[in-house]
Amino acid sequence: MSDQPAPHETPSATPSASPSPSPSPVHRSEGHTGGPPRRSEGHGGGGGQRREGGPGGPGGPGGGPGGPRRGGKRQYFRKKKVCRFCVEHVDFIDYKRVEMLQPFVQERGKILPRRMTGTCSRHQRWLGEAIKRARNIALLPFATEL
Amino acid sequence: MEANMEERVYDLIFICRPATPEDEVNKIVTTLEHSTSEHGGKIEKTERWGTRRLAYRVAKHREGFFVYMVVKSTQGDLIKELERRLKVSDAVIKYQTIRLDEELKRQQKLGKHRERRASRRPRKQAPGAPPAPQPPQQQVPATAAE
Repeated sequence: MSDQPAPHETPSATPSASPSPSPSPVHRSEGHTGGPPRRSEGHGGGGGQRREGGPGGPGGPGGGPGGPRRGGKRQYFRKKKVCRFCVEHVDFIDYKRVEMLQPFVQERGKILPRRMTGTCSRHQRWLGEAIKRARNIALLPFATEL
Repeated sequence: MEANMEERVYDLIFICRPATPEDEVNKIVTTLEHSTSEHGGKIEKTERWGTRRLAYRVAKHREGFFVYMVVKSTQGDLIKELERRLKVSDAVIKYQTIRLDEELKRQQKLGKHRERRASRRPRKQAPGAPPAPQPPQQQVPATAAE
């Protein structure tokens, strides 16, 4: 596959498919399928590949979306995820607004990791706290029984 | 000693059994109000959220009648007393008190900070907008391929 000199078509196809995760609240349902941009077969996982999961935060990868790197073997795209709370300038995450917390919780009640939702570390911290409070007062489940 | 304590804000939520008559809920609320005023506190607001589904079973109930209050107090003893009262009342199946003043303070501080920063340095248009490298040629082969 890597021998092909002009892999132009593949990148054009991928961005339309993969970058859906970032902004939409659809996450919850996507939880399992939404991950893929991170784990897309790793391309052998040479060196720095690993770290890619991490930078979702504001100071993330340099500038703009991880652009196409012509030189390397890497040919998949990652749309930069932006913290939804930072965009809306949220200073306090209210645990009482369940419908707002819901997108950050999996079906079974797990808190979604930052790498899935793109939340920055500060807001993820507040979010976790809010979710735990909501759980305590039975607004959110600890774990859904089947 | 307690008089020196600055005012604190608390969120108080309690859940009654779904079958509780309205009078009894009112009675609980009035007793809470009463003991709050006794301790020199103040109930800022009381909201009845009505019967809603619990995220998990509490005391074999799947639904509960939620009451939400905001309490201001300068004495820690008040919360102790309120929680004791909720604990002993049979209709209440769950309650939670959360101290919120620190978070509200933080929220105000962040808001002020942002305002100040915004006023000091008016936004430049397009701060560091990278030269959006969306190569249009990529789309052309894709359509051609289709």
